[in-house]
Amino acid sequence: MSTLHLLSHILDRSADRFPDKDAVRFNGQALTYAEWATRANALASALIAQGVRRGERVGIYLNKSLESAVTIYGIWKAGAAYVPLDPQSPPARLKFAIADCGMRHIVTSPVKAAALDELATGTPLECAIGTNDSSPMLRCMPWDEVYALGGATPSVFVMEQDLAYVMYTSGSTGTPKGLMHTHHSGLSYAQLSADLYGVTDSDRLSNHSPLHFDMSTFDFFSGPLRGATTVIIPEAYTKLPASLSKLIQDERLTIWYSVTTALVQLLLRGVLQSRDLSALRWILYGGEPFHPRQLRELMMLVPSARVSNVYGPAEVNQCTYYHVPDLPNDFDESIPIGHVWDNSEGLLLDEHDNEAAHGEIGELVVRTPTMMRGYWDRPDLNARAFYRRPVFGDYEDVFYRTGDLMRRDADGNLRFCGRKDRQIKTRGYRVELDEVESALAVHRDVDECAVFTIPDDEGSTLIHAAVILKPGASTNEATLKSEVAVRIPPYAVPVAIALMDDFPRTGTGKIDRRALREQTINTRTVAGATVQML
Amino acid sequence: MTLLAGVAPPRTDDATVKDALRQFITTQLLMQPNMALGDDEELLLSGLVDSLGAVRLINFVESDLRVQVPPEDVVIEHFQSINAIAAYLSQRQQAT
Repeated sequence: MSTLHLLSHILDRSADRFPDKDAVRFNGQALTYAEWATRANALASALIAQGVRRGERVGIYLNKSLESAVTIYGIWKAGAAYVPLDPQSPPARLKFAIADCGMRHIVTSPVKAAALDELATGTPLECAIGTNDSSPMLRCMPWDEVYALGGATPSVFVMEQDLAYVMYTSGSTGTPKGLMHTHHSGLSYAQLSADLYGVTDSDRLSNHSPLHFDMSTFDFFSGPLRGATTVIIPEAYTKLPASLSKLIQDERLTIWYSVTTALVQLLLRGVLQSRDLSALRWILYGGEPFHPRQLRELMMLVPSARVSNVYGPAEVNQCTYYHVPDLPNDFDESIPIGHVWDNSEGLLLDEHDNEAAHGEIGELVVRTPTMMRGYWDRPDLNARAFYRRPVFGDYEDVFYRTGDLMRRDADGNLRFCGRKDRQIKTRGYRVELDEVESALAVHRDVDECAVFTIPDDEGSTLIHAAVILKPGASTNEATLKSEVAVRIPPYAVPVAIALMDDFPRTGTGKIDRRALREQTINTRTVAGATVQML
Repeated sequence: MTLLAGVAPPRTDDATVKDALRQFITTQLLMQPNMALGDDEELLLSGLVDSLGAVRLINFVESDLRVQVPPEDVVIEHFQSINAIAAYLSQRQQAT
């Protein structure tokens, strides 16, 4: 038996052990493990034939489909690292990532072909796999030609510390940053999470997250590691809660993993009481706090499922869990994020990097085998993110600074207390408010701007902005919104942009964002304005 | 479809509704006003209309076509093509 030291070995092993079992499903179609491996091998052969070399970054630019699964493993089998590109993101933002990591190849589908010329303009992109629509700028190869190459495993040397995937996330300087994970960090995560949640070959996992979200690694790494079936949920279902709950019922999902927002939407609009969800044995949520009243309601509607709050920046995959106990009726405290994984060490540090006294707030730093290698080509960020510290005696090791402020309860559970910087979560998406501000600030009509968040009515927050226009400039909110949407992903575009003559200021003349925020909340209440949910 | 942009008449015939939907989808969601979009063309599962587009489509039905869509009706079967939406709308109008 071959060893298990690369993420691609997950599929090889399960194709040996469970060749005829459904491995991935999408919209009623399925691939067995044997079919999945054959297709991934064919894609790897195609990529190699198109010049992909070990360690290269290959883009995934696809709406969800069975090809999502094929592509991840096909890229690994070619010795390369995958870079998931948000199919809903504006091309200008994707071009940054393509140029930043020197991407020459992209795997896509005909439905996304219209954007390829733009993605290739001014970037190193030279080849598109998965579409026939010949772009004059790219060599193209459709899926049927890929699959005609057959399923022989290409022979490529790859080792554990090689790059496995790069995920781009919001960056505070106005451009995204690429998190680099290795086969080692990814496989450590797959093994530990599969053990922690007891994943077996009789499990049926949800894949709710898009590929460019780190949560998708559980669905595509940990499930296949144990021979489970992963059910890929079409993007549109994420906005159709009643269809989503029916899918959970009909696909007899046993493990659900998503951002909190998705579960709140299911609770509010998913008609859960009319669905049979008794196959669900574990619900994992994370990304944002769950209101205890809503969480209790969910637990009552799905009594078969254990519920766990999981936490971890994408830089370290997951690193804590809290198995939620039965919640008493009058319980209204926040839910802890729990304990650091058994294979990891977490410390709370004060501003001088000393361990915070018990019960005091400190920044969580983590030492874990699931930690990323670093940010692509950003020595400045790496210098800040990683922190060397003696562990025992003269032995020192690297910790990742999460930027998350926490407090430890008397029973050892960690509680989230806020951020050190201006990173926020909106409906499950991680956004640097500075990136949104930068996008507004470069607009030709904007003189000054401020971006801030306001709680929505469903336990999350929404991004708002206020701007002062340049003298003589005339534009309106709708135009500003559509123009800023070219630079940032749709979820980061402010839901409202107030045009103002001046901002509230602090004594030193700085923008008083807190006052601005309160002013906006009051205005909304007075006007009786409601924000369209969903 | 200026006819429907303002105050929509309470009942509209099938062809008008389909044209309004087609116009909204091609110009507002896909930004391809010259596209020939068929009545049976798969909108959601194909990824042609993305998830944020799905929300805008439902909002369009509610605010511009003036049809309230209860949560249990926000399902893929009712929104997957122009024909599917039109059929759902006529079913809703007959029910109310």
